[in-house]
Amino acid sequence: MDVEKKHFTCVICPIGCEIDVELQNGNVVSMEGNKCEKGKEFVLQELEEAMRILTTTVPVKGAKWAMLPVRTDKPIPKRLLSKVIEQLADIELHAPVKMYHVIVKDIAGTDANIVATRNMKKVNHPKDAKKDLISRKEG
Amino acid sequence: MEADVTVIGSGPAGLTAAVHAHKSGAKGVLLLEREEELGGILKQCIHNGFGLEQFKKDYTGPEYAERLIEELEKTNVQYFLNTMVVSLSPDKTITAVSPEKGLFHIKSRSVVLAMGCRERPRSSINIPGTRPAGIYTAGVAQRFVNIDGYLPGKQVVILGSGDIGLIMARRLTLEGARVKGVYEIMDYPGGLKRNIVQCLNDFDIPLYLSHTVTEIRGKERVEGVVVSKVDQKMNPVGGSKQFIPCDTLLLSVGLIPENELSKEAGVELTPITRGPVTTETMETKVPGIFSCGNVSTVFDLVDYVAETGMIAAGNAARFAAGDWKKGKNPVEIIPGENVRMLFPQRYSFKDDLILFVRSAKPIDKPVKIELSPLGVRLKRLYARPNEMIRFKVSRDKLKDVTGPVEVSITER
Repeated sequence: MDVEKKHFTCVICPIGCEIDVELQNGNVVSMEGNKCEKGKEFVLQELEEAMRILTTTVPVKGAKWAMLPVRTDKPIPKRLLSKVIEQLADIELHAPVKMYHVIVKDIAGTDANIVATRNMKKVNHPKDAKKDLISRKEG
Repeated sequence: MEADVTVIGSGPAGLTAAVHAHKSGAKGVLLLEREEELGGILKQCIHNGFGLEQFKKDYTGPEYAERLIEELEKTNVQYFLNTMVVSLSPDKTITAVSPEKGLFHIKSRSVVLAMGCRERPRSSINIPGTRPAGIYTAGVAQRFVNIDGYLPGKQVVILGSGDIGLIMARRLTLEGARVKGVYEIMDYPGGLKRNIVQCLNDFDIPLYLSHTVTEIRGKERVEGVVVSKVDQKMNPVGGSKQFIPCDTLLLSVGLIPENELSKEAGVELTPITRGPVTTETMETKVPGIFSCGNVSTVFDLVDYVAETGMIAAGNAARFAAGDWKKGKNPVEIIPGENVRMLFPQRYSFKDDLILFVRSAKPIDKPVKIELSPLGVRLKRLYARPNEMIRFKVSRDKLKDVTGPVEVSITER
């Protein structure tokens, strides 16, 4: 029977064990290189479904800055990262936004929400405010 | 105007220092920030991994900043935004300028330096070639993408495997650019392992060790770069040249503590860190001027930055209150075998010593960290230059030391 080999770098702690795994019919038949049980759990989770926190930005109008930073409020399957990014493409927010405000619920069926990771104040005519600063400097 | 403790810079070190100076009983605490909001570089570091040790939480940069700002808002610490410090004198007179106040002076009893660091640019590594548009430091690209909403390019090569470069490899990929590879001149990566895995491996971005960019091509815009393999002396290997078409080159080739103000104040700097020489209290060689965070030495975790901010602020508050004795003459802490960086560089017998060291070369075997003449202080499973090692030595253990303390990292 064919043996499939896979390599993982554990990221549970800074040691970063290099772990080699052999699989037969999708079942782990050997694992080497992990210094602790957590490394084993990490590899099994990666094999079953690699999970990641996604952080990105969405455009925001009426604020000092063009972009608002956001995140998933829990890890989501790695294979869905680009799908989530696509679903966020059409979103545009208006300031003010409060930190942890839910922007999209249950994004791409992951059960995770997209939340704002900072407060973003509303600014009236930010461009005019900047002009004012420049003219004062020149004056 | 007058202040008891003035903190210069409101990134993670400065925010923590301002809050902690207040908590340590200082009355007139003043925080100066040259940008239009508090938080420093945290605002553009939208990725997670902040505060894992300090708060046991996995914050993003902006969340971490908001948490510190919330704490600050609960105090009576005064802060000035859009305020650029233009000079600092040895007697702790600060000259600053802002649109509201014009040029003004602050006479402060103690000062905490928290100006952070800046990125090494192209000119500091002398890459031959043309000077087209499309060459950015990784942090500048990070600001463009995360705050201003611009994508710096579509076909990207990254030189240097520092953490910001790795983070940007992932970020640009998620935003639709193609990152063709990360090239690192050393034979080991510059960034943390978790970033190699989650920023490069997750997105099949190749990392080429012992490689560098030896030429930039393009007239108006970058058209490509020539990369070469390097030998052990970091000289390009003949015949290894390869042209990589791209429209953007990001540089992640190191950070330098920003010490122009420190120098002016007569603060002595050390080539070991490029920051001020300090004791365990974070006091520089100028009495009453303390230094913390990345202006002292470039840390790899925000938790350590904040820790040094706390120490500096506590002592700056004591100094301002007049509760500061000269005490015993400090002893030097010097790098020995396989130690590239250590911080702080002096011990003044006032407090426990929190020591930060970086090994010169990677040792992926069990190591011991020795403080001669005290003996072995720490055992670890490995030591890598890309991972700072932090440990504590109690005041009690150090009290009888008379000469310099030499730190070494060796196999056991």
